[in-house]
Amino acid sequence: MRNWWQGTRLVAERGLVENLRSRAFKVMTGLLLLMSIAAVVLPQILGNEATTYTLATVGTAPANVRAALDAAGKSAKFTVKYVSGNAGDDVRLAVRNGDASAGLAGDKLYTDAKGGGTFPVVVAQAVVSLETSRLLVEAGLGPQQIAALRSVRPPQQIAVGRLDSEGRAGTGFAVGIILYLAITFAGTAIATTVAMEKSTRISEVLLAILRPSQVLVGTVVAIGTITLCQLLILATPFAVAVQVTDKIGLPPVAAADITLAVVWFLLGFALYAFLFAASAALVNKITEVNSAILPVTMTLVVGYMLAITVVTSDPSGGWSVLASLFPLSAPMAMPIRWAAGEVPVWQLLLAMALTAATAVLLVSIASSIYRRALLITGHRVKLREVLGGRAAS
Amino acid sequence: MGLEIRDIEHAFGDLMALDGVTFDVVPGVITGLLGPNGAGKTTLLRIMLGVLSPDSGSVRYDGRPVGEEDRRRWGYMPQERGLYPGMPAGDQVVHFGRLHGLSRSDATSRARALLEELGLEDRWKDRTDKLSGGMQQRLQLATSLVHDPEVIVLDEPFSGLDPVAVVSLSETLRQRARIGCTVLFSSHQLDLVQDLCEDIAMVDRGRTVLLGSVARLRASSGRRQLRLHVEPSNRDWLSAYPRVTVVSDQADDLRLEVPNGIDPLDVLDAARAGGRVDDFGLDLPTLSQLFLAAADRPLDQMVVS
Repeated sequence: MRNWWQGTRLVAERGLVENLRSRAFKVMTGLLLLMSIAAVVLPQILGNEATTYTLATVGTAPANVRAALDAAGKSAKFTVKYVSGNAGDDVRLAVRNGDASAGLAGDKLYTDAKGGGTFPVVVAQAVVSLETSRLLVEAGLGPQQIAALRSVRPPQQIAVGRLDSEGRAGTGFAVGIILYLAITFAGTAIATTVAMEKSTRISEVLLAILRPSQVLVGTVVAIGTITLCQLLILATPFAVAVQVTDKIGLPPVAAADITLAVVWFLLGFALYAFLFAASAALVNKITEVNSAILPVTMTLVVGYMLAITVVTSDPSGGWSVLASLFPLSAPMAMPIRWAAGEVPVWQLLLAMALTAATAVLLVSIASSIYRRALLITGHRVKLREVLGGRAAS
Repeated sequence: MGLEIRDIEHAFGDLMALDGVTFDVVPGVITGLLGPNGAGKTTLLRIMLGVLSPDSGSVRYDGRPVGEEDRRRWGYMPQERGLYPGMPAGDQVVHFGRLHGLSRSDATSRARALLEELGLEDRWKDRTDKLSGGMQQRLQLATSLVHDPEVIVLDEPFSGLDPVAVVSLSETLRQRARIGCTVLFSSHQLDLVQDLCEDIAMVDRGRTVLLGSVARLRASSGRRQLRLHVEPSNRDWLSAYPRVTVVSDQADDLRLEVPNGIDPLDVLDAARAGGRVDDFGLDLPTLSQLFLAAADRPLDQMVVS
């Protein structure tokens, strides 16, 4: 067993070094990082144009109104510009023509047709508050009493709805897409490596020293590690942004969801990686890789389609439950169901156990196909040629 | 001692690739596994290396069945070269050394020594696919020798080599045999390797047809030819040797086949008694002639060079 790990580690190490050294890896990782940074930074730059409201008043706006609005603007991040008209009609027209967000004339507050959003409310509150203070002073209250009265606040509002609504479902959806893309990319990389080793006949030397399972697991670990690193690189700018500012429009996600996503990536990747490797062992020339892995890719696509159509529309329906338990679709379907918050824990654990068990089973089937297919050269190997008959040793 | 191959049988579907092959490989004696294309040589080597499992029969080394751990200490060079195209030459050798169980530092120092021995010392950092075919061939040899294997198995190592490379590879193998390694290689170019092999196992259609030391097989084959240039063309003395047959007799050149049991020197003496001998020589059969006789095949079915 110690030797098994030692050989496997060497295969994985070589795969890692070769991938890290390759130009394709550097370019791809650079692109991912740029895309990810852009996705985080661009909305910040575009969104940082401070909101500006314009208030139209008859004559110059009263200093106390200005002071109240500027204070409100500071805490709610908007700035207020002021325009003045000679009469109430000027103010009304300014709002109507869109030159001002709101207009104050005597006891009238003009807004646009839709009510003007929050700004008129802020203006109205400022006016009411100032007028109330004036009346309180006239009624003979001291500044302390007025301050006490003004510090009265409505009860704090706290949203207690379940997170399973749109935000979290969106997260499950995103996890599904990322898993699907990551498995497709990594699977193709694994298939290419296996086909390269077969077409250059390196595999024959390797099989004289190592067991097929060592070569397969080593290759899968190397490419899995690289893909996981790329996913982390993709996630880093988001993580940094979340630390630095809370203004990222990320849906509220529990840390547990992220952990689950990583676990599902590992399980789903392990499952599909060996299918990709076994199919690639059937090729004769490296150019045949894409057609050789087509059945695996199709299975993956069907699993993914099931996940986003059936499961998203009815997460607790019978088909959804089936799709989220069946090993080939579980890695994509279960995160979506889980995010929708309708999965008993035992189903989650069962799906994970089934997927893991299938992956382990596939290691031995793939090793057997690999060992036999690698020695058949000169034509595309048919699955029939390598299955059945004598068991591989 | 050494390698014992016993009654190996292997079939691909209905095709019997190996039908009870048995022979020994003795340490220190370069042994050739010879035969035409399709004789089953590669299948047999793959079985010895554990890449294929035989239907029946066994491979033993030093009296024990060969296991995974034994094979990790062997060196194997397959017929079709297998190297990582994008890997630097030196790293490649180090990697295979470590796969064979060497530590990184041991593998590195062994790799340096080997590349120097094979004339590749200034290619350490070059990508493998930037090397010429001959250099890749030597690099492949380095990857199979890096761990100082006690058993060295090579499948068609001479195919595609130029004459200089043949000489240098032969020298490398002789040197390994001298220090006691067990060296087995396969070839279909029987006459090319005639001078390198000491022992041979000749296979045809999955069966062993000829076994043993090359020198003894050639000397005792009964197909020795005595070549004489005699004057005058008096052939009466030949009647004393009824079993000696005349292969050709043109002008003064006489070619005789001398069967076992008759000393060619006696025939020479008789010829000298009959007339003046200007030139003479004893030609032993080539390996391909031995093969043809043993396999009982017409020449046109043979692929020999």
